[in-house]
Amino acid sequence: MTWRLAALPGLPPLIACLALLGLWEAAARIFAIDGLPPAHEALRQLPAILGDREALLHILDSVRRMAIGCALALAVAVPVGLLMGRSRLVAAFFNPLLMTIYPVPKAALMPIIMLWLGIGDASKTLVIFLGVSLPLIYHSYQGARAVEEKMLWSAAAMGMSPLQRLVRIVLPASLPEIFVGVRTGLVLALITMVTSEMIARQSGVGNILFNSLDMALYDTVYAMIVIIGILGFVLDLGFEKLRARLVAWAEPVHQIAVGTT
Amino acid sequence: MISIEGLSKSFETQRRTSHLALADISLDVAEGEFVSILGPSGCGKSTLLYIVGGFVQPTTGTVAVRGVPVTGPGPDRGPVFQEFALFPWKTVLGNVMYGLIEQGVARPEAEAKARALIALVHLEGYENFYPKELSGGMKQRVAIARTLAYGPSILLMDEPFGALDAHARTGLQKELLEIWERDRKTVLFVTHSVEEAVFLSDRVGVLTRAPGRVKAVVDIDLPRPRRRAELLVDRRYQTLVVDIEGLMDPPTEQRP
Repeated sequence: MTWRLAALPGLPPLIACLALLGLWEAAARIFAIDGLPPAHEALRQLPAILGDREALLHILDSVRRMAIGCALALAVAVPVGLLMGRSRLVAAFFNPLLMTIYPVPKAALMPIIMLWLGIGDASKTLVIFLGVSLPLIYHSYQGARAVEEKMLWSAAAMGMSPLQRLVRIVLPASLPEIFVGVRTGLVLALITMVTSEMIARQSGVGNILFNSLDMALYDTVYAMIVIIGILGFVLDLGFEKLRARLVAWAEPVHQIAVGTT
Repeated sequence: MISIEGLSKSFETQRRTSHLALADISLDVAEGEFVSILGPSGCGKSTLLYIVGGFVQPTTGTVAVRGVPVTGPGPDRGPVFQEFALFPWKTVLGNVMYGLIEQGVARPEAEAKARALIALVHLEGYENFYPKELSGGMKQRVAIARTLAYGPSILLMDEPFGALDAHARTGLQKELLEIWERDRKTVLFVTHSVEEAVFLSDRVGVLTRAPGRVKAVVDIDLPRPRRRAELLVDRRYQTLVVDIEGLMDPPTEQRP
């Protein structure tokens, strides 16, 4: 039976979503709290929000900041992590620094950063950048450290310089591990994005969400939560597609298809 | 071709004491010669090969290739490792082409040359496979083709067949000899198998257990081309194997 369900890839998640909505609807009706509107009322707000130019611009603002923050993090964190993984000196330099910053919630830095950069795009993008960078550095570091020495020697025998080896051997060899960091980073980006907009309310998804909360527009609040959830889901889906294309070479080979016997 | 003089290597251990792996190794390898280094495990024979490759620096002594001291890795010395060390993100074709592209060979030319080498190691039809899809023996064939591709004059082989099953091992020994007969590259071959060393080599250098010193260098004056089936019943082959086994130290015991 299980294999028949798995044969339709969209079906199990659809059932899970419907079950969640059902639970929500039931809980709202049973407890009848102001702060928990029934699912159908929140969902009814979705077309209104998504059809509203203003709201769409807010969502676009959020996504733009997130994209820039992530792109910057990729450009900085991956090289730093790879260098740390291949050089004990670089690792010794950055490690204590990173260990200090890692446990600090990046959104907690938001008020300080706002003092420097204001409440606009710059501070929010910087917070997203910080949030994404750390897991990315960590996983790039682990990936680069695990690169087989003999593989680098083989490349060196072909006449490749240390820098060429870093870009053309260490980077592709670490890619599967880097992608683990990217996935964690994307989730953190989404969280820091919303939190930064909660603290500096000026534009974005978080701005609509928390302003609606203040005005007790609970339908809109829940609709925004659903939108953020969908955003995360779409990002993860796109990311998985990309990952499957780029690191298919690292996936384990399945000799026997599961569930065929 | 290769001259190794007064080579020794010591490593810093975890407890900050020094461990002598190789002591006073001197050995000359002539152009086109097939020389095996034989020794019990832990005697530093692979380290010797890494030093010749320029991957590891010696503590004392020198290695020179055609009179030029070795200071680092170079395409004149092509390594083949027990671990294969293929690039897993590249296909068989991509792996074999890699060194050629690296040396500025035009793509169509590099591909033609790579395909010929893939045929030489009997892997036609596997050009677009990734390393993870291949057996150990096939991986090592790819690694040999990848190294041959950029035309090193010396092959440095570090227990290349050590991780393979007996069947793949004898098959690859035969293929290696066939390839070697064609262009007679200089080969330095590290192994712990006496039979393998005698079957393949012109000379066999036997190292003592750690710290590795050259205990004896034995000439293998068996006629070529060699065929396994004939050698196994050949009196001279059997005597050489027995004699060299007698020279081998028992492996280094693990001390706590």
